[in-house]
Amino acid sequence: MTSSTLSAVAAGSAVTRLAVRQVRRGALVILAVTVGMSTLVAATYLRTVGAGLDAGALAALARNPAIRTLFGEPVALDTAGGFTVWRTGTVLAVLLSVWGVLTTTRVTRGEEDTGRWDLLLAGRPTRPALLGRHLAVLTAAMALIGVTLSAALIAAGTPPRGALLHATGLVLTGTLAVAAAAVAAQVFPARAGATGAALGFLGVGLLARMVGDGVPVLGWLRWLPPYGPLALTRPYRDDRWAPLLVLVLASIVLAGAALALAERRDVRDGLLRPATGRPPRRWLLHSVAAFAARRTLGPLAGWSAGIGAYFLLIGLLADSMTGFLADNPRFADLAGQAGFAGLGTVRGYTATLFALLAVPVGAFAAVRLAALAAAEASGRLTLLLAGPVTRTRLSYAEVAITAVGMAVLVTVAAVATWLGATIVGADLALPAALAGTWNVLPVASLGVGAAVLALGRAPHAVTAVGLVPTAGGFLLKVVADSVEAPAWVSGLSPFAHLAAVPAAGPDWPAAAVISALAGVAVLVGAWGYRRRDLHV
Amino acid sequence: MAAPAIRTHQLTKRYGALLALDGLDLSVPAGEVFGFLGPNGAGKSTTIRLLLGLARPTAGQAWIFDTDAADVATAHRLLAYVPADVALWPQLTGAETLGLLAATGPGVDRAYRDELVDRFDLDLSKPARTYSTGNRQKVALIAAFSTRAPLLVLDEPTSGLDPLMELQFRRAVAAARDNGQTVFLCSHQLAEVEAVCDRVAILRAGRLVDVATVPELRRLHRTEVAAHFAGPVPDLHNLVGVDNVTQASGSVRFTLTGPPAPALAALAAADLTALSVREPSLEEIFLDYYGEATR
Ligand SMILES: Nc1ncnc2c1ncn2[C@@H]1O[C@H](COP(=O)(O)OP(=O)(O)OP(=O)(O)O)[C@@H](O)[C@H]1O
Ligand SMILES: [Mg+2]
Repeated sequence: MTSSTLSAVAAGSAVTRLAVRQVRRGALVILAVTVGMSTLVAATYLRTVGAGLDAGALAALARNPAIRTLFGEPVALDTAGGFTVWRTGTVLAVLLSVWGVLTTTRVTRGEEDTGRWDLLLAGRPTRPALLGRHLAVLTAAMALIGVTLSAALIAAGTPPRGALLHATGLVLTGTLAVAAAAVAAQVFPARAGATGAALGFLGVGLLARMVGDGVPVLGWLRWLPPYGPLALTRPYRDDRWAPLLVLVLASIVLAGAALALAERRDVRDGLLRPATGRPPRRWLLHSVAAFAARRTLGPLAGWSAGIGAYFLLIGLLADSMTGFLADNPRFADLAGQAGFAGLGTVRGYTATLFALLAVPVGAFAAVRLAALAAAEASGRLTLLLAGPVTRTRLSYAEVAITAVGMAVLVTVAAVATWLGATIVGADLALPAALAGTWNVLPVASLGVGAAVLALGRAPHAVTAVGLVPTAGGFLLKVVADSVEAPAWVSGLSPFAHLAAVPAAGPDWPAAAVISALAGVAVLVGAWGYRRRDLHV
Repeated sequence: MAAPAIRTHQLTKRYGALLALDGLDLSVPAGEVFGFLGPNGAGKSTTIRLLLGLARPTAGQAWIFDTDAADVATAHRLLAYVPADVALWPQLTGAETLGLLAATGPGVDRAYRDELVDRFDLDLSKPARTYSTGNRQKVALIAAFSTRAPLLVLDEPTSGLDPLMELQFRRAVAAARDNGQTVFLCSHQLAEVEAVCDRVAILRAGRLVDVATVPELRRLHRTEVAAHFAGPVPDLHNLVGVDNVTQASGSVRFTLTGPPAPALAALAAADLTALSVREPSLEEIFLDYYGEATR
């Protein structure tokens, strides 16, 4: 080897190490959740489902469009593997692909936007090489998750063919999401736009799969990536590999496109360039709070669209779902064990699904406060804070605007559910829907509290800490209920104290205690934020 | 007497084991243009962050016109700041950024702002994402000068400006001085410091080395002397304040620090035919200061 190829190799592996450092922590968390959830469901299959399912009940389940739409088409529920795929497959596919999108845009476009790639690109690596290395590392991370998952499923006693197929499908879904995000990162002028577009692609894909699963004549929609082909593989029953070809081809095409486009654009500029000059838009610039509102409007519209679409679907399915569960009490029992009790009436069904709403609404809050921390880290807050603006006021303004955003989101969810239910003639009044969605606000506000605490103490971890009470609490409750853990374990989850509104009345004392905890967390966090050094 | 624009008492900042600022005692009277100099990593930006309440001192205290620097709601009504790295909201245009900063800042003189925009030749219709380093700096400078705040804190404000814009910057500082505003200027551009500053402070490794007017610094520092003789060259090696002596036949060059009397007496005693004295440039003075640690 000549010395120049030697140093090219060295430069390449330096980039690889950089990429590994940036994704390894997230990858390990995702790996733990993926493998943990799958193993748990597979290992407890006998105890939770066991022999309680007869052929007639299964056939009814497999035919019901509501079940198929929400949870995917049930296949091989009479085996531990098949049941695991049905219970966790969609959730894990969404988890892996969303993580893939967020990480890809963060380590490629995000790093580029901060100017750090300028330094790398001034050295040896070309732009496609730099992007390629990062994509390779992310693909390797997905593969590692897949290998561990299939090993765990085989160890849990499920047949190797199905385990491999299921894990491969999940890996390919994640890889495809990475490739799609890489393309978006070339096209859009900044990271936020690229992330939004890639998440939109996933959302449309999920909708296509839901409709394809639920409406037999539109079954061909399931050939659309990234989630549909997963449903077609039918692991642990038919073990079809062919549908995965769609994912492989789509990934290759998208990754190739991303690498080709990477060369055709300027660094820190997308292929889409907004006009370089425009007249000023002066609305919502007159105060710190107004500016917080201005920055929140765009993201809020995106979150509203996503949450609105999901709950419209929930409303549309209300009748068919509750009818099915009323006719098949065994499934109502099963759902109850998994934390979804009372699905047999419209009010019970909506109450159960409204509880879920605390997770995205809490995530919205965490992400908004993380955006404030990111603005600080990039130095954008410095000029604002050089004015007579205290950090206390800045953080309270952000919290207030975030709270308004959360109220908007739960209202959107209520109206969408009510609209869907009304269209199919299910019995759900708008005030009942509103009561149900507003009921989750105290739990979701724990997300605000945790995020502000992190803002004061560990500003680089605002999103992760902010998700602990809501996403973490939900996971804790589901897992604790599934393994029949002692009551105090699931009692740690705020969801254990969430009344099933509108099936029942609100639990005012619990709501008051939870809100007070969130309020204290905000006060303590804002105090810490005021007292610490600004991290620039 | 009016309160000093900036006063610090034993201001100290520690980052773990690193002592970034070590017991700084400084007073900048109102109305002064004050230069703050020092090598990279000396603690200049750290001082400014403490003055602005962006970081908390490990020990000591700072006051802005007698207001505790930690009370930013009051102190920041009296100052404007230009950071060393200007980061702007990428999606806001220049005009929108100036609007936001005017609305949340200590106040704005709109007519003067428009004049500054003209003078700095900045296109306000572009989103900040597309601005070059110099243009981002111009946005911050225009926002700061147009506040007409009594104290302007400027951290390397011209590092990205071209010479023409640098000239505009000096004009704006001169206008601020004529207005009675105080300017605290941290810079590595010594020509600029020499042109605009009344007094300068020199910081090295977190400690204040010297505070003086520019002419005073000159006096305190190595003057270069060259002397020619008709007869034998006197031996200057052991005289106080004399350094770097180089002798040739019939001439001697040396540097002189402190009072010149002993050296002049020695020269006068010999048969002196010509004498030239050159004051050091500010740059040489600072090379002296900055280099002391390594010598
Ligand atoms: N947030 C921080 N954490 C740890 N160390 C820091 C931090 N900020 C500054 N330092 C250290 O404090 C010292 C002083 O830094 P400072 O930025 O004040 O230097 P400066 O005089 O402004 O230098 P320059 O001329 O390069 O701008 C440096 O050694 C720097 O590495
Ligand atoms: Mg500095």
